[in-house]
Amino acid sequence: MAQKMMVSVKFLGMQRVITRKDAINIPLTGGLRVHDVFELVRNRYPDLNLDEETTFATVNQEKASLDRLLSTNDTISFLPYISGG
Amino acid sequence: MQILEQIRYEPAQVTGGYTDQLLRINLTTLQITIQDLPPDFKNKYVGGRGYALKLIWDGTGRETRYDSPENILVMASGPLGNEPGFPGTGKFIIGTISPLTDTFIDSNIGGHFGPLLKLAGFDALAVSGIAQADLVIVIDADSRSISIMAAPAYDKENDEGSLSFGQRLLQDLNGGEHSDSLAAVTAGKGAGNARFGIINSLYYDKKRQRIRSKQAGRGGTGTVMRTKGLRGIVVRSSRSKANGNNAIDKEGVRKAGSRLKEVIATSDPKQLHLSAWGTTVLSEYMNKFHLFPINNYQYGQSAESAKLFAGVFLDRYFTKNMPDGCYYGCNLACSKSAENVELTLGPYAGRKINVDGPEYETVGAVSCMGIFDPHFVLEYNWYCDEYGLDTISAGATIGFFMECFERGFITADDIGYALNFGNMEAVDRLLHEIAHAEGFGKVVGQGVARGKQWVAKKHAARAGISRDAALAELSKFAMEVKGLEFSMYVTKESLAQQGGYGFALKGPQHDESWLIFIDQVHKELPTFEDKANALKWFPLVRTWFNATGLCKLPWIDVRNPEAAATDEPAKNLPTLTYYVDYFNATTGSNKTLQDLLDDSERLYILQKLVNLRQGKGTRASDQIPLRAMGPVFGNEYDSRAEYYDGWLKEQLGDTALPDSPEKKHELLVARRIEAYQKLCDIVYEKKGFSPDGIPERKTVEKFGLMDEQAEKLLREFGM
Repeated sequence: MAQKMMVSVKFLGMQRVITRKDAINIPLTGGLRVHDVFELVRNRYPDLNLDEETTFATVNQEKASLDRLLSTNDTISFLPYISGG
Repeated sequence: MQILEQIRYEPAQVTGGYTDQLLRINLTTLQITIQDLPPDFKNKYVGGRGYALKLIWDGTGRETRYDSPENILVMASGPLGNEPGFPGTGKFIIGTISPLTDTFIDSNIGGHFGPLLKLAGFDALAVSGIAQADLVIVIDADSRSISIMAAPAYDKENDEGSLSFGQRLLQDLNGGEHSDSLAAVTAGKGAGNARFGIINSLYYDKKRQRIRSKQAGRGGTGTVMRTKGLRGIVVRSSRSKANGNNAIDKEGVRKAGSRLKEVIATSDPKQLHLSAWGTTVLSEYMNKFHLFPINNYQYGQSAESAKLFAGVFLDRYFTKNMPDGCYYGCNLACSKSAENVELTLGPYAGRKINVDGPEYETVGAVSCMGIFDPHFVLEYNWYCDEYGLDTISAGATIGFFMECFERGFITADDIGYALNFGNMEAVDRLLHEIAHAEGFGKVVGQGVARGKQWVAKKHAARAGISRDAALAELSKFAMEVKGLEFSMYVTKESLAQQGGYGFALKGPQHDESWLIFIDQVHKELPTFEDKANALKWFPLVRTWFNATGLCKLPWIDVRNPEAAATDEPAKNLPTLTYYVDYFNATTGSNKTLQDLLDDSERLYILQKLVNLRQGKGTRASDQIPLRAMGPVFGNEYDSRAEYYDGWLKEQLGDTALPDSPEKKHELLVARRIEAYQKLCDIVYEKKGFSPDGIPERKTVEKFGLMDEQAEKLLREFGM
C-alpha cells in the first residue's frame, strides 16, 4: 500500500505543553502552503493564540514565508521572535 | 554590631527621577561624604552606567587595577528606576575596574536595592579604599544615618556564604523581621577567591515571604567588593514606592506604563511565555538553531539538550502560577524560583534550599561543561550564588579546561583528577575548590584568559614547543575577549553576533547586542552594511537601558504586534515609544528617541575612552577566538558539515569546493577570518573610529567629552 505523503508540525516550548504533543502530521494535499498549515494549527489549537504579527515560520529549520509551497516530509514550526535579553 | 563611623543626614527628595546626590564612602579612611551633583551631570551622564563611567573616568587612572585602593565600586539606578507603574524598573548598575578585563565593567542587577537607594536619597553610591578588616555599610534613611560597621561574626556558613550572610544581616538589622523596606547587596567568600566574583542583591518577596536574590554576575564586581573588605551594604527606606520618582507628569507615566503592561499581558503568552517559564525557555530555541554552547561552544545542539528545556524545570522545580517579578509592577515577572530543592552534592548535601533561578545563562553554562542534568543545574546555580561566583564565567572556564584535558593539553596529574566533559563529580569538586582557592580551583578561579597562559606553560614544556606557539593554539578555543568569558551563545553561524561579542566594550556579554536571530535565522542583515548598522544601533539602545535603571526584556523579548507594520520589526519601535514617553513624563523632558540615542552614544564613547586608557580600546582588543567564527577542530566541522559546505559554496560561486575535509576546513577558516576583519573596518567607520578602533577627535568632541585626559590620550594614539 502506498504511504500517504505528509508534512509535520513540530511544537516547541509552551506549544508542546498546550497541545500535549511533540508534533502532528498533516496529509500533504496539492498546493498546500505554510499559511494553510498555520490556519489549521490555529483552528485546531486555539489556546496557542498564534497570530501572524508575532510569529514566524520555519520549514526544515529555515525561516519560511507563509506562502511557501510545502513538499512531502517538510517539518514546519511556528516560533516567537527572540531578541536576546 | 560595632559602629566604626556614622553620620547623620537628611534624605534628599526624589524629583523627576533624581535626587542629585551622590554618596561617597572611603573604606580606608572611613570617610562618608554626601556630594551634590551639578545640574548638568544628569543631563550629560543620564544615570546608572553613565554615572559609573564618569566616576571611574575621573577617579581612577591607567595604573588602577581591581584591587587598587582608588578603584571605585559604583552602584546606581537611574532616573527611570523605581516606578511600580511601569514594568521592569528594579534594575541598577554596578560598575568598577574589573579583575578579569582590567578595564571598566558594569553588570546590571534586579531587586529592590537600586530603588531603595534612591528613596534613601542617593542617585549613586561610590565606594573606594580598602578596609583593614571586613565591614558592612548601612544606609538607613528611616533613622537618618549612614554607618560603617565591623562585619558581624556569625558561624562559618554565614560568614562564607553570600546568601546566608545577607539573609542574616537583613534580619539582624530589622529586629529579626523581614521587611520590603530593606534590601542588601553582599559578596561571598568565593567572590574573594576568584576573579569572577558576583554581587547578590537580596530583597524581601512578600508573595513568597522570604528573601530572594538576583545577581550582578559579569566581570568580577563581587571580587572587587570582597577585595575592598566590604561584605555587605544594607539600605533602608520606608518612603512610599508608589510614585517613588515623583514624576513631573504623573499621568504621562501612568499612560506609558499601562500601554507597556497591556502589550506584555497580551503578547507574552503568545510568544516566549517568560512569565511562566522565565528565561529557561530559551534553551530549546537555542538548541534548535545550533546556538547552545555545548562542550565549550563546540556544538550548538545535542540530543541530550531536551533534559534542560524549560518544561523540565516547570514540571519538576518551578513554583507554578506565581508571578515572580524582581520589582513591583512588572507583569513580565520572569524571575522564576524553585523551592525546597534538596542538595545532593557539596558540603551542604542533604539540605533543602531555595534556588532563585535558573536563568538561561546558567543552564547554558552547565551545557558548556557537557552536563545535561537539571538537578545539577539547580545545585550549581545555588552554590555559585552562595559562594559568590558567576555561573557564566565559571562554566565557560571549566568548559575550557575540560577541553584542554580531553585534547591532551593538560593531564589528570596537572589537575589532580580527570576533568572530562560531563563529569559532574569533578565539576562539583572543582566548584568548591574555586570558592575556597584550593587545589586546581586556584587556577580555574583566574578565568579563561589567565588560565590559558597556565596551560600554555605546561603544554609548551611537555610538547617541546614555544610558549607562544602553545598559546596561539589554545587561544583558538579559549572563549574570552578582553579577558571576559563569552556568555552562552554559539556564534559560528552569525557574523553579526561575532561582532556583537567582539566589539562589546565590556567583553563578550550579550547585553550590548544580541543579533543572532535577526542575522542567522531571519536573515534580515544580509550585507556588511546592514550588520554594521545593527552593531551601532542596538548597543546604543541597550546602553540607554543600563543608564536609566530599566530591564530590557519588556522591550526586546516581547514583540509588540504593531512592530510587524514597521520597516525594521526587530527594533520593536512601537514599544520604544512608550519608553520615550516614560522618560519625558518622569523627567519633564521633551526628548525624541534620537535624542536618547545621542545621550547613550556619549556614554558609549566615554566607555571606549576608558578602554583605550586601560589598554583594551584598540582593534587588537576586539579580536575574537577562532571558535567564535567557525570550527577549530574537524569534529566541529563534521557536526555541521552540510551547513559549512553550503556556506562555502555560496562564497565560492562557480569555483569548486576542495575535495578533502581538511582543505574545506582550512578555506572556511580563512574566509571567516577575512569576513570578521572586513566587519571591523565597516563598524569602526560607522561608529566614528579610526581603522584601529580609536575614536576620531570629532567623535569625542561631538559629545562634549574632550577633557584634558581625553586630549592627552588621543594624542598618545596619534589622533
